Amino acid sequence: MSVNDFLTLLYDSQLGTSLRESLYIFPAVEGIHLIGLALSVGLILFTDLRLVGLFLKDVPVEDVLKQLRPWLLGGFAVTFITGILLVWAEGLKIYQISVFPIKLLLIAFGGLNAIWFEFKYGRTVSEWGSKAEFPKGAKVAGWLSLVSWSAVIICGRLIPYLDARSL
Amino acid sequence: MSTQAFFHALQNSSLGSGIGTLNPLFGALAQLFHIAGFLLILTAILLVNLRLFGVGLRNQSVPQLVKATNPLILYGLGFLALSGLFILLPSADIYYANPAFWTKALLLSLALIVQFTLYRKVTASESPNRILAYVTASLSLVLWFGVAFAGRAIGFV
Repeated sequence: MSVNDFLTLLYDSQLGTSLRESLYIFPAVEGIHLIGLALSVGLILFTDLRLVGLFLKDVPVEDVLKQLRPWLLGGFAVTFITGILLVWAEGLKIYQISVFPIKLLLIAFGGLNAIWFEFKYGRTVSEWGSKAEFPKGAKVAGWLSLVSWSAVIICGRLIPYLDARSL
Repeated sequence: MSTQAFFHALQNSSLGSGIGTLNPLFGALAQLFHIAGFLLILTAILLVNLRLFGVGLRNQSVPQLVKATNPLILYGLGFLALSGLFILLPSADIYYANPAFWTKALLLSLALIVQFTLYRKVTASESPNRILAYVTASLSLVLWFGVAFAGRAIGFV
């Protein structure tokens, strides 16, 4: 089954069709996808800025990582679930827009980078977090995260923009 | 001059029509600055308001977080105002006719009033009154997230 076949299946399914044709639910899902970004991507960007030393410099990095983690993960759950619903309803159309596959790749990269950081540095933050200089790898992960999630937002914003212009 | 005539004049002003003739790339850039400003403000406000609820960065004091986030909020407001005008001016007639635009304008006015009165006063204190802190955080979150939600609705109405 090709990607196109799979997206057609979702598009033609009852959930996909009713979501797409609903007057309020579809815009609401898109709205929640957007404002959920303040928790998911917004909080991860703020955490990255702390990691690279540009924000909340007088707050221990361990505090930032641990105290924001549940909010950040909750935000990603909301963004992810609403994102899947949007693909369910309109994936077939969105897939044709060139930035969408790029956005998916960037999300995968950002996710893998976060997992790598978590296993390599996140668990030992209490050891290195109070030192004047953070491990080089942790800072690199912070920069990679900043760049990749910013690029995800740029691609994401261009989807409705390019979609509207192609109508 | 009626509001409608004012919006029409904005669109036909040299600035409005000038922006309208620019390469669409500038329009896309304005949208990107708009979402960057949106993320800066919403996440900064979220961080402080979570703290007012006693969650999130609760090991830090409210004024400490305000001091760190205020520059981000100001940059965010600057980004939003400039890119917002850039988006609005060349299509002012369309925005005038869109009810979601007016909902957004109303929510934005209320959010700014709360921001520069209640929010500023409550967050200046090391230990604000708990009820007042909860009310401020709820109002601020509902209004600012409402602005973003209404903003997205403009494209659907």
